[in-house]
Amino acid sequence: MFDIIFWVLAAVAVGAALAVVLLRDIFRAALSLVLLFLTVAGIYVTLYADFLAVVQVLIYVGAISILIIVAIMLTREVWHGNPPGRLRIPALIVCLLLAVTLIFTVMSTQWLVSGESPKTPTTMAIGEGLFGRGGFLLPVEITAVLLLAAVLGAIVLIREK
Amino acid sequence: MEIGDFRLLAPEISLLGCVLLVILLDLFIKQKRILATVSIAGLIVSAGFTLVMWGTPPVVILSRTLAVDAFALFFKFLFLVVAALIILASQDYVNKFERFQGEYYALVLISAVGMMLLAAATDLIAIYVALELSGISLYVLVGFLKDQKSSEAGLKFLLLGAVASAVLLYGMTLVFGFTGRTCLMCIADFLQGMPATGILDNLALLLGLILLVAGFGFKIACFPFQMWVPDVYEGAPTPITAYLSVASKVAGFAVILRVFFVALGAPDWMSLNWGMLFAILSAITMTVGNIVAIVQSNIKRMLGYSSIAQAGYLLVGLATVGMATGSDTSGQSGLIFFLMSYAVTNLGAFIAVIAISNKIDSDAIDDYAGMGRQASLLAVALTFCLISLIGLPPTAGLIAKIYIFSGAVRHGLLWLVIVAVVNSCISAFYYLRVVKVMWLGVPPSKEKVPSSWALRTALAVCCLLVLLLGVVPGSFVSIAETATRFFGS
Amino acid sequence: MSVGLEHYLALSAVLFSIGLYGVLAKRNAVVILMCIEIMLNAVNISLVTFSRYVVPLLLTGQIFAIFVIVVAAAEAAVGIAIIIAIYRSRQSVDVDKFDLMKW
Repeated sequence: MFDIIFWVLAAVAVGAALAVVLLRDIFRAALSLVLLFLTVAGIYVTLYADFLAVVQVLIYVGAISILIIVAIMLTREVWHGNPPGRLRIPALIVCLLLAVTLIFTVMSTQWLVSGESPKTPTTMAIGEGLFGRGGFLLPVEITAVLLLAAVLGAIVLIREK
Repeated sequence: MEIGDFRLLAPEISLLGCVLLVILLDLFIKQKRILATVSIAGLIVSAGFTLVMWGTPPVVILSRTLAVDAFALFFKFLFLVVAALIILASQDYVNKFERFQGEYYALVLISAVGMMLLAAATDLIAIYVALELSGISLYVLVGFLKDQKSSEAGLKFLLLGAVASAVLLYGMTLVFGFTGRTCLMCIADFLQGMPATGILDNLALLLGLILLVAGFGFKIACFPFQMWVPDVYEGAPTPITAYLSVASKVAGFAVILRVFFVALGAPDWMSLNWGMLFAILSAITMTVGNIVAIVQSNIKRMLGYSSIAQAGYLLVGLATVGMATGSDTSGQSGLIFFLMSYAVTNLGAFIAVIAISNKIDSDAIDDYAGMGRQASLLAVALTFCLISLIGLPPTAGLIAKIYIFSGAVRHGLLWLVIVAVVNSCISAFYYLRVVKVMWLGVPPSKEKVPSSWALRTALAVCCLLVLLLGVVPGSFVSIAETATRFFGS
Repeated sequence: MSVGLEHYLALSAVLFSIGLYGVLAKRNAVVILMCIEIMLNAVNISLVTFSRYVVPLLLTGQIFAIFVIVVAAAEAAVGIAIIIAIYRSRQSVDVDKFDLMKW
């Protein structure tokens, strides 16, 4: 059952990603990006990452997509479309090579797959992993400062002189 | 309990307190100069905490995400000094963005905090987040002038920086997936427990390593990730250019040294491979930087390419670290000494450029004609720093080069040292051209170029340090040797 | 063959390469920003996959992914602020002038 869901989601995700890159209409590209974000949330569900799937929907689909769509509106880029640059052919070659290398690497490596069955639900475990003993408290504190820097920066850049 | 560990974070926490104070005071105070004073006071307090902790036995805190060792403390102190000098050097420049001075100082301090954490972090997650903290504040600072060039530089820096950090992240993911761990010491344990097979049998590890080099390579601007440098350096506010070329690059080298030496340095088949990778990158980077620098006509671009070339010399040190087997730390101490000397020299050169361009409002090398008569002291200081960048006596540059190259020769990198010496000779050409224009050119006017006391102080400190490192290097060498003491080595 | 670790990683690799292609080949800054988000999502798929198959009890990969999401949001906010600032200072919607990725 999971297998079929995975293949469907994977096909939609790759299709949506290609649409972002290839579509001429930049607004449609943004909407395909939203579709991609949603399918990624679905993929998280198939990986038993329930909390992360919700976070993905809230932050990517809810916040980042809106931010990008607002940016498209504000800069009135819609009418100019989404043309490819001069580097298209070399970029295509580089990325095909990268994709082949990456896929070959992940296929040929002996990963240390653990036989344990995954933990569900994950919310409490993630909370403990972040704030509990032996958790990642320091990165949490650093991200607090990071958000402060981002807010300061966005305000400075967006205000008129 | 872990809360007690926060005591050891005193330098970062006090500096963050200072950031909040600056932001709050900015709301009430009309006289913005006070904010600079507060920032510098915060940096001094933080540096004081760092000095007090110097010499304490190395520990890792907060469940193995942060090391408090001589290596981290040394770099924290260096970043604090650099940030203080940058704030002093910005004193005339900030008038260009009157309204946002508070935010400017706050962001400079926040990125300093990011770099301090970056030098100390011992966990892939903490490294990534700290890298982004310094990165995001620098993106904003580069675009701070909000004119065409500055915004364009900011956008370029942000887009390329974000791509580089995505690549770095993929590398980290592969290393994490391969070992199942994120803390550097745990990764090292895992790798030492592996059967000695060679890196080609573990493709995921090899690819992860290459992607890590690519991601960090952006930060230190090594080939082929150097193309952002000239445009960003030219467009950014000059004090921020100096900050990028010094602090950001030093932070990049610090984190590379820790990740590669602590996590990936243990089995010899591993370190010999990345040592050779860095050696090749080093040769290409310095050659590209030096050759393109010759044709530059804008001094900020020229110093940008020169800083690429200097990154090439610094990579010689990283290659030596990789090639060295056993407990020889001459590669690390050479690299740290070179970083020290590079930081003060490049900062000095940029501060002189800031002082001159404040007055003549141009960065073209031709407009520096006759500076020797218009602003003798500034010209002397700039000449001195450029001589140090070439590596001539009696300056820091010479000692640093001898130190780092002799270590490389001892570990079988003679070919690389020959390339580096040839490159140093090429570099003399474009550095001395600036000197020639300044002293032999005909000035367009007899008008003196004034400079404020803040700039002069910062410049004097840099030149003094360049001289001290060059004349009495002994005590600085012993500091560099102490700073090679990592946690876990 | 049932779906396992390798399939998810291959999907992640494909998405990452598509994102990188977009970054290198596109001229519009907003689209480039969108492609960077694709790359970060691809990395997140890898992280969650490793979390599921390699360390199913520790969930380190999922925690890492949360940090990546936070950073991505902050980067997008600053990126869009810079794009709007640049749009203002140029007073132009000319894509060629907006096209900054020509090294």
